[in-house]
Amino acid sequence: MLTRVTNQSITRNAQFNLQTGLAALSKLQNQASSQKAISVPSDDPAGTAKALQIHGQQASTSQYGRNIADGTAWLNTIDSTLSTVTSILGRIRDLTVQGANDGAMSPTSKQAIATELTSLKGELLKQSNTSYLGRSVFAGNSDAGVAFNADGTFNGAAGSTVQRRVDANTTVRVDADGSAVFGTASTTPGSVFTLVDNIISDLQSGVNVGARLTEIDARQQAISAQQSIIGTTEAQMDRASQTNASQTVSLEAQRSSVEDLDLAKTILDLQTQQTTYQTSLGVTAKVLQPTLMDFLH
Amino acid sequence: MSTFGTLNPAYTGLVAARRGLDVVGQNIANANTDGYTRQRVTTSALVTAPSSLQMSATFTVGMGVNVDGVARLGSDLLDARVRSATATSGYWDARSSGMSALEGTLQEPGPNGLSASLQKFWGAWADLGNNAAVPATGAALIAQANGLASQISGGYKQVDDQWSTLRTDADTKVASLNDAGARVATLNAQIRTTLASGGSANELIDQRNQLTTTISQLAGGTVRNLPDGTSEVLIGGNALVSGDKFNAVSLVGTYHMDAAGTDPVQLKWANPPGNSVALDGGALGGTISMLAGANGTGTGGPIAEAAASYSKFATDLAAQVNAVYSTGANAAGTTGTNFFSFDAALPAALGLTVIPATSTDLATATPGAGAFNGDVAAAVSQLGTSKTSPDALWGSIVAGIGTTAQTANQQSTMADLSATAATNNQLSNAGVDLDEENVNLLSFQRAYQGAARVMTAIDQMIDTLINHTGTVGL
Repeated sequence: MLTRVTNQSITRNAQFNLQTGLAALSKLQNQASSQKAISVPSDDPAGTAKALQIHGQQASTSQYGRNIADGTAWLNTIDSTLSTVTSILGRIRDLTVQGANDGAMSPTSKQAIATELTSLKGELLKQSNTSYLGRSVFAGNSDAGVAFNADGTFNGAAGSTVQRRVDANTTVRVDADGSAVFGTASTTPGSVFTLVDNIISDLQSGVNVGARLTEIDARQQAISAQQSIIGTTEAQMDRASQTNASQTVSLEAQRSSVEDLDLAKTILDLQTQQTTYQTSLGVTAKVLQPTLMDFLH
Repeated sequence: MSTFGTLNPAYTGLVAARRGLDVVGQNIANANTDGYTRQRVTTSALVTAPSSLQMSATFTVGMGVNVDGVARLGSDLLDARVRSATATSGYWDARSSGMSALEGTLQEPGPNGLSASLQKFWGAWADLGNNAAVPATGAALIAQANGLASQISGGYKQVDDQWSTLRTDADTKVASLNDAGARVATLNAQIRTTLASGGSANELIDQRNQLTTTISQLAGGTVRNLPDGTSEVLIGGNALVSGDKFNAVSLVGTYHMDAAGTDPVQLKWANPPGNSVALDGGALGGTISMLAGANGTGTGGPIAEAAASYSKFATDLAAQVNAVYSTGANAAGTTGTNFFSFDAALPAALGLTVIPATSTDLATATPGAGAFNGDVAAAVSQLGTSKTSPDALWGSIVAGIGTTAQTANQQSTMADLSATAATNNQLSNAGVDLDEENVNLLSFQRAYQGAARVMTAIDQMIDTLINHTGTVGL
């Protein structure tokens, strides 16, 4: 142990201590003002890797949130359309029951029913071509513009469904199969448009339309089945949305615990460091001045 | 003893005290000179030459004081410790500042880093999956992908620039090293001549010590003192300076980061030509270690490794995206196309380009599933969530650079502390203490006054003898 102390070594020591104190103060000030515990990867390499991972998860979670909102809009559109279709079909059934009453109906009144049925068919066709953001909700991924042509033929791409990813492992179908809802020539029961056409021509040619009621009921059941599928899917979307929201909160908590500063601790450290620095300044100023020169005359 | 004999010892006392004051003056004048080592007058008592004429019973006193010389109160051990501590701190300072600059270019974690762009890139794919064949969404994806590619190449270029800057810096350091070596050789010659002619070479030795510390800071090395007052500076066991001979070193190797693996940056001896210098640390050692090429296992020079990581990331990203993307069909029904391609003439990070130019080129649909199908785009967007995703690769690259930087910072802090401690020890031994010099000043002043007093006393005695003898009673 060297006991000799010189003016130069005191000065050096004082400079070194002041510099160290100032550097610590500057780092704490930087942290306190930026509120970030990690400003460069070397501050905490493991924390940085974790932060990047959490940021990635946050980005995909918010993407899933957007997917869920988009999918829910599709399902809502389909749901309300199917309700409208059900009520139109109810009206068609009423008119058919009315038209089957051969004894009371004159050919003129049958013609009136046929005319109303024609307009209801147009209404059905319009509903079958309901679109969301420019895409027909009953046409799957087809870009044909309309799901059903005016003659009732289906344009949907077979076997292709519209899927939305609601979390890392799950995708949900958000469209409805137009051929199952409205039927085509090849399905059982057949196309609803052909059915309405048949009722109209039966009315006009004097055939009793009572036999068509079973076909209408079969179609009604098919539509109800589709609507219950859509309802179940909407409930699934609701759950996914809630999960997504709680996941967003928990990820933000995780991010904050890795990246953000313990404010109370930093302010306390900052205050302590400030006091230390001021003390060392004061002490240095006192110690550096006197030499024997000051006392010899 | 003759009548005037006693005046001579008093005179030698005057001379010694005056030399003592001279040295105190020199010490105080250099109290704040860098590298100055305090000095002391060394004296010894003069003995009377034994005389055969004198009776053995006659007792004799000494003949005064002799100024033997001016001693330099340095310590070779403490100087050597400063040199070795400076070499270590020079090495780690160079590493630490290089790594800080490198991790600064990453801008991670933060909103401007590559990871943030990558997340936006996956987000654009997911949006396209939801709204396939919508031109605006496709255009947004293509813009995002081009932005990502240019950010990767921008990161690579920044790393490349940093390498070039360090390479130039290494040249400057070698020039300083050669300059210091040449000056040590010149000083050695001066010191030898001065000492041979009996002079004091203390100030020259101080200068030489400062230069050898500079050499240690740059390139490590050890110093050996030779009997004739000159010294030898050895780097990696070979002499940079030996006496008045100086063996220059030169930096060879590429000026381009890409060639750092095949044409590495090395320090070579001028004589014999082609022999490389084994550096023992020092700032130059640190800089050259930063400039080393990538070796494929991630343990090469950190800068070249970072550049290689950018390329690896670009290759991995392109391979993963293309593998999924090529299963999709575009608006015209074409399948098997790629999303990213590389310019084979460039490193992967610089050569990464996006192939689709317009949204109609984008192959987002499962073949045969309808033109509005976006399943392939949705599948691409999910690449970011897998365990082997490009995001995970980038995270491990950032963490790797962060760990290396953290190690360098910690080592640098420790080496700085030990260098400061060594310098403090050296200074407390060799530095000028003004209080001590003041005390010396007083004691030499008093010694001078005392010697003068002795002269006065003898003078008065002789005066009595010459002028007042025989005047008794007058």
